[in-house]
Amino acid sequence: MAKTFMPNVKKIVYIAEKDVKIYFFKGPNLTFGLLLPVVLYLAFAIGRTVDPTNAVPGLVAVAAFFGAGAIQAISLPLERRTGTFNSLVTAPISLFTIMLGKALAGFFFGIVLSFTYTIIMIPFGPLPNLPLLIMGILVSSFMFSTFGLLLSAPFRDIPQAMPPATVVRIAMVFVGGVFTPLTMLPTALQTIAYALPLTYSVSALRQAWNGNINLQMYLVDSAVQIVFAIIFLVAATKILKRTIE
Amino acid sequence: MPQENIISVSDLTKYYGNLLAVDQISFEVKNQELFGFLGPNGAGKTTTINMLTGITKPTSGKASIAGYDITKEPIKAKGLIGVVPDVSGVYDEMTALGNIDFSAKLHSVPKEKRKARAKELLELFNLYERRNDRVGTFSRGMKKRLMIATTLVYEPKIIFLDEPTTGLDVQSSRQIRDLIKEMNKDGTTFFLTTHYIEEADQLCQRIAIINKGKLITVDTPERLKKMVQTENMIEISFNNTADFSEKLKDLNPVKNVVRVADKFRLYVTDLSETLPLIVDFANHNQLKVTSIVTLKPTLEDAFVSLTSVRPEVMANEARDA
Repeated sequence: MAKTFMPNVKKIVYIAEKDVKIYFFKGPNLTFGLLLPVVLYLAFAIGRTVDPTNAVPGLVAVAAFFGAGAIQAISLPLERRTGTFNSLVTAPISLFTIMLGKALAGFFFGIVLSFTYTIIMIPFGPLPNLPLLIMGILVSSFMFSTFGLLLSAPFRDIPQAMPPATVVRIAMVFVGGVFTPLTMLPTALQTIAYALPLTYSVSALRQAWNGNINLQMYLVDSAVQIVFAIIFLVAATKILKRTIE
Repeated sequence: MPQENIISVSDLTKYYGNLLAVDQISFEVKNQELFGFLGPNGAGKTTTINMLTGITKPTSGKASIAGYDITKEPIKAKGLIGVVPDVSGVYDEMTALGNIDFSAKLHSVPKEKRKARAKELLELFNLYERRNDRVGTFSRGMKKRLMIATTLVYEPKIIFLDEPTTGLDVQSSRQIRDLIKEMNKDGTTFFLTTHYIEEADQLCQRIAIINKGKLITVDTPERLKKMVQTENMIEISFNNTADFSEKLKDLNPVKNVVRVADKFRLYVTDLSETLPLIVDFANHNQLKVTSIVTLKPTLEDAFVSLTSVRPEVMANEARDA
């Protein structure tokens, strides 16, 4: 078991490494991953009194959300269009291994962007609890990367994949209580928000910035995100399998 | 081992929605064989390769690679094969060396061997000087050579080549054909699809002809040619390029005359009877015979007879591909 698992771990890393090298500096990746979170933040913050304890974790979560997912909206559809995806499929690895490799690349991009925004925002808010922040960013980035895979799995080209993924993500930002606490949202929106993965990422990251840490809540938020990640990854693999059949 | 079947296909069928792309085809490829898959566009060649290499799943039927069922044990089956696709299978954003290295890593080639083999292949395909250049700057021929190199780096037992020379210049095509022959001699099995009838004739030990999803026949090129009952043919040219078609038709054993460039192709009932009559015809018309050859049925004739697809159609498709 270990013998067959280890080469797969290596191959997951090789696929991720290749994706990072190729797609990290692609235009849409930088636009959606780097600029969109700050645009959304400014759209919310300009002209309001912003509580940094709420808004900064929201911005970091959105950076992970768009960052981890941006690479997926490019790499999977583009590879399917150009034919390079077939080279991966004909290699002696499972589709799940390929998807994990791609998820790892998004995970890496999500981490880089989240920490970039964390460092930028340090002067504007309180200092976060570092272990909780690191853990929160890692879990969120992985979950959002798998969510990005799910959104791009049905599509064979970037122009097809980008618009629905962007609409879904932006809608989630507004409904998910990103820059304001959930309690301030209308009851109906609160119910919807609890079904969204972004809500749990924001909640966990708020714990990292909150002076009164509720560890139990943090762990529940993290566990829910891990469950979401597993569901997204399995669903994305199944959808992709169906579309290539 | 050489005569054992390394690819076995039984009643393989593929539907895309309501479209029947491959219709219950069955055949075997022997170990170390150079097997050709010939057919026009939309015949089902690429779909068959896609099913055999795990890119797409058959709707029904069975196929195995060295005994491994492609749907039940796909990873073991894929561990034995290499695929050189028709369209690009290399990353434009990566360097030539990066592409080879990535392919070797995916197929678990040890690091030391990876480096040495990459250098060897880059030199073999005249790409060593460009090894650190982005593949996006390469010509189609260079990309095709690189695609083959990314496959050879892990030394697969069976290589699937989809249209290996389509769109390539004469020199690159010849280089690839020579390499295929050389590797086949060394024991690699090839499954090759092509639009070029002549290429299949030159390279393949056996050929399967597929049209509209159905397998029409599988045989050696020579036996396929013998299957075609064509008339005797003589191709003749004179020192005068005027059109003598009508006059030649008057010769008794000549059934038809077709002008091909500066030559006349005569379809005759009897060769030995016709030859002296042609000499008489030339003398009578004060002509000199500059060349005269008798023609045997070609693989092209066999293909046309079996599929009713004109060779010009195949040539146009190959050019447009």
